[in-house]
Amino acid sequence: MKSLSVNSVEFPSSTPAVEKPEGSGASGFGQELEAAVKKVDDLQVAADVETQKLANGDGNLHETMLALEKADIAMRLAMKVRTKLVEAYNDVMRMTV
Amino acid sequence: MDFLSALQIAGSGLSAQRTRVNVAASNLANAESTRGPNGEPYHRRDPVLAAVAFEASLADASQVPLGPAEPGAASTATAVQVTGIQEDKTPGKRVYLPGHPDADANGFVTFPNVNPVNETVNLITAQRGYDANATAVETLKAMAQRALDIAR
Repeated sequence: MKSLSVNSVEFPSSTPAVEKPEGSGASGFGQELEAAVKKVDDLQVAADVETQKLANGDGNLHETMLALEKADIAMRLAMKVRTKLVEAYNDVMRMTV
Repeated sequence: MDFLSALQIAGSGLSAQRTRVNVAASNLANAESTRGPNGEPYHRRDPVLAAVAFEASLADASQVPLGPAEPGAASTATAVQVTGIQEDKTPGKRVYLPGHPDADANGFVTFPNVNPVNETVNLITAQRGYDANATAVETLKAMAQRALDIAR
């Protein structure tokens, strides 16, 4: 039996330095957020296109369902991330100093 | 492999099984067609399924060694694709029907080489295959939902 290499979990010693993209003034987080939202939106658009194709009669049922499912999962994930972010923000704001 | 590419692979399986049902339905519908577009009786068809490489890796990005297999053997996920639909050229049964419009000079009519029982079995296996792929989709969906529920 081949032994599987087991690695211990390594914690980064400190917060990894976020590289700020050069040139543009926008922050890295803002860009990441925008890209993520764009991905979620792309899946929504893909689901819309599939639904329209199905309605026009030249789509196929399961591909439409899969597209809808993907859009659903992506949207749920986005919602969870948003909820977490807002929670964290509220926690910080409620902090008594 | 993330959830979305796994869904894509299960979707390719659904498509392949649906093609199998289409072909079986075509064979059943033409079980008595003694004349096709080329003048010959219908020949039963078989879909040819092939495994095609999918861009995603089968394991996660965490570099899990995949057992004792040689490198590169089964590390990439493979989707299924219908690469072609092949005609079965075995001769069909010949029946003596002199009055039939498609009878030859000796009064024999060549019927398609379709056996409805075989086609029905193909239909059942294709349906089971579709069910299996749909179950894979459902499982993936449940897993994704479960993963999202972690952060509640």
